[in-house]
Formats: sequence, structure tokens, C-alpha cells
Amino acid sequence: MEAGDIISVNRVNFYYGAVRALTDISMTFKKNKVTALIGPSGCGKSTLLRLLNRMNELIDATKVEGEILFEGRNIYAPDVDPVEIRRKIGMVFQKPNPFPKTIHNNISYGPKLTGTSVADMDALVEQSLKQAVLWDEVKDILNKSAMNLSGGQQQRLCIARALAMKPDILLMDEPTSALDPISTAKIEELIEELKENYTIIIVTHNMQQAARVSDETAFFYLGNLIEYNKTEKIFTKPDVKQTEDYITGRFG
Amino acid sequence: MTRQTKEIIIQYIFLLFALVSVLVLGLIVFSLFREGLPLFTSVSVKDFLFGKEWYPTYDPPSFGIFPLVVGSLIVTLIATLIAVPLGVMAAIYISEIAPQRIKEILKSVIELLAGLPSVVLGFFGMVIVAPWLQETFDLPTGLNIINASVILAIMAIPTISSISEDALYAVPREFKEASYALGATKFETIAQVIVPAALSGISTAVMLGMARAVGETMVVLMVAGGAAAIPESLFDPVRPMPASIAAEMGETPYGSAHYQALFAIGMVLFFLTLAFNLIADYVSHKFRQTGSATL
Repeated sequence: MEAGDIISVNRVNFYYGAVRALTDISMTFKKNKVTALIGPSGCGKSTLLRLLNRMNELIDATKVEGEILFEGRNIYAPDVDPVEIRRKIGMVFQKPNPFPKTIHNNISYGPKLTGTSVADMDALVEQSLKQAVLWDEVKDILNKSAMNLSGGQQQRLCIARALAMKPDILLMDEPTSALDPISTAKIEELIEELKENYTIIIVTHNMQQAARVSDETAFFYLGNLIEYNKTEKIFTKPDVKQTEDYITGRFG
Repeated sequence: MTRQTKEIIIQYIFLLFALVSVLVLGLIVFSLFREGLPLFTSVSVKDFLFGKEWYPTYDPPSFGIFPLVVGSLIVTLIATLIAVPLGVMAAIYISEIAPQRIKEILKSVIELLAGLPSVVLGFFGMVIVAPWLQETFDLPTGLNIINASVILAIMAIPTISSISEDALYAVPREFKEASYALGATKFETIAQVIVPAALSGISTAVMLGMARAVGETMVVLMVAGGAAAIPESLFDPVRPMPASIAAEMGETPYGSAHYQALFAIGMVLFFLTLAFNLIADYVSHKFRQTGSATL
């Protein structure tokens, strides 16, 4: 791994039962950058994202080959606890999924698991909500159910919830695909701000979004990494014909 | 016939089917009250509910059902205390922890338990549990509160377990993923996300399990011991209300005060199960609304 790299994927294959979903993927993600994973449905981009915080092992009959290095350790080594990995690598899902708890308790859920003392909890909740640009909208209703928020607010709450863990990396799995354009714009602005302090890896179906928010873009097709380069390069002069076809909307 | 008339006719046919059960219930309640209410011309409601002596065949008879009510409630309460942890834990294991194969085996075994006729369970209580209790604790009889409670608990477990399991199963996968992604362990996820989200269904399961236990007749008739006295210890025999009705109805002259008293007991049971159902309904709504906000 070079300086500035935070996570490195080495020759990874992934199987759902007998079906191979990822073939020999090798790539490194840069620290404090936004990396977009794009490609048509079923290309393996979400699978790769979920490999990075070991979420795929919640699904039965899956198998990983190869290694994923984070902080110099293979996160799939037998002595690595997935719980530790998930605390450092946060995740935001496609569909906003706040817990049916209060807004405050949604944020404090993760930190409480690690044993953070309650004295600084209110401050942490405030800080996390401010980072997710949600504080002003919810500061008076912290003890109301998170289920009463709009979809866009719920998604920002989920981002705040992930940030409260102070992760190194934030994984986002199509975080705006269930949201309206205004909420989407807010989340994109937020991503821009967050990359100061976090490494963000985002899966998106929306090519404009990838072009707008990311520094690096990786294009996947049928479980293979086709092309991985600076976003500007991918969207202006891709090296591979398939990438160009996908980006210009010829398939996908 | 136009399509619309057909639709309307079909609607009414289904309405009719739906009304049958309402009608049957109405008729049963009506006859229950018609046979039971006349008792209160000779016995006051207070003496009936709180009278401590149930001597229906004495001269003059006394119709105090307080010992029977106490018998029913204590047996139901202890059965619940046994069945709720077992049923809910089993449901959690089946829906969240067990591997697929064990899950399927456990589910069918619990269904089998639900299908056991109560007389078989009563028989088991009589010939196996009772002698064991009697010997182990050196009791005059093994047919008592503990015995009946244990057997009733066995009967209530499948109800509690299968309804709780449905409730747990209905908790969206997204909640679990969110919890795991925040670094929660399986146990933390179960205790802090899945069970709270399923609480309304679990409490419904508990209330329905209790309703099942309070109305159960054969088991309490066979193993509760049949003594119409207020118990002093858990090893005393009792005579729950359904057992009293079942044991005495055959030997009661039609229309006599005793006959009416048994119907009046039926009324009490009816109100008791009605109360359980209303509470179940209330609890499930309460947890569904504020539960989402306060848990």
C-alpha cells in the first residue's frame, strides 16, 4: 500500500453459493477522497462495498477469496472481529433505515455499544447531527420518533448515526436512490463536506451523481473491475470502450 | 346480469359468511346470560363473586365463587410466568439464531406440541407429574397448583412462541443491518433492536397465551386437584372455574340455582377472556404507537 491509501483489495473473488459475483478484483481506495463505484445492476458494485465492512457474511452460503487490507491488516483474517471492523467502517444504506427509536437514541445507539459514558452523549449527538446538517431541523424534537422524519431527513439521520461512531471510512450504498431531488442535493453537498475528514466510498446508479461528487470512479461490469481512474478521466476520456458505452448510455 | 350486480352479490355473500360467526357468538352469549342471570334474583352479585364458600349441593347451598376465581387466576398466573420466558426465548432462538435445519425441526416440534389434545397432557400430569411431586415434596396429593400450572404452561408455550416468532420475523431486515453496520453483536442487535421492534406482537402473544390458559378445562379438571378452597400454598389443590363447570354440569337439575350458578361462572369466564383480548389489543396498539418513539 502506498501513502495516502486507506484500504486495499487484493485479488478478491466472491461467491453467493456457486455463483461468482466478483472476479479477481484488485484496487486501492485513497484516504479522504470520494470514490464512486458505478455499473449496471448486478455488476457487483454493492457486493464489493459490503465486503469492505464484512456485511456480506450476514448472508448464508457466501465465500470470500483474496484479502482486503485495512490499517495493514487483512480484515478477513481469522483473528479479526467483524464488530471492530464495522465500528471503524460505517455504512449508509440504500433505503433510509432509522431504528424505531427517538432521534437521540438513534444516534446514541452505536456509541453506547462501545461503552462511551453518557455524560458526553448529548454533545456527541449534537455534533453528529450538525455534521449531517440535520441539527437545526431536529434540535427541538430529539425525543420524538425518527419515523416521523421525511425520507431525506431519515437518510441524513442515518449518516449522522454512522458518523457518531467516528469511523475512518463511510460506505454509502446508493444513498439517494430513494430520495427526491432536493434531498439528494443536500446529501451530495454533505458528501462534499464530509470528505475533509472521512474517506467515502459510494455506490451509485446515477452517473451525474458520480461525476458531481467523486474524485475517483471505478466501473464494474459482470463482476469485473473494468476501469478505475480519476473521475474526470473516466467521464471525459475513458480508456476502455465498455466504460464509454456505459457512461454515454449505450447500455446499462 | 351486469358485472356490477355480480360484484355486489358476491360482496353480500361474503358478508353473510362473515356474519355467521358473529351471529353464533351472539346466540351463545345470549343463552349464557339467559341461563346465568336469574341466579342473581336469589344471590347477590357481591356474595357470588366474593363469597368464600362454594357448597352448591348443601342445604341451604352457598354459591361463593371466590375460591374458584382465585384458583383460575393463580394457576393462569404461574403458568404465564413459566410459559412466557420459555415461549419468547424459543421464538427468539428459532427466528434469529437457529441454523435453518434446526429451525425447521424446532418449528414442527412446537406445532406438534400445539396439536396435543389437552386430555393427553392432563393424563401426563396425572400419572407422571403428580406422583413425582407427591413423592419429592412429601405432599398429601400431587394434583395441585404447581402441577396444573406446569401443564397449562406447556399448552400455552406453542401459542406464545409461534405468535412471537411471527412478530420477530416481521421486523424489517433493514433494522438488523443498520445495527450490525454500527458494530453491534448479534446479541446486542436482538436485545436492543429486534425484540423492542417486535414488542407489540410479543405482548399480544402473551395475552393470547394467558387467555388460552384461563379457559382451558380438561387439564385443570384432571390435575388441579378440585378443592374449592382458597389455597394457602402452591402445593394446595384448587378448583379453577372451567373445572367446576365441567365437573358439576352433568349432575345439576335443569333450571336449578346450581345450574344457573354454573352459567354465571361461564359469564365470569367470558368477561375474563374478553378482558384479556381487550388488553392484548390495547397493549399491541400502545406499543405500536409510543413504542416506536420511546424505546
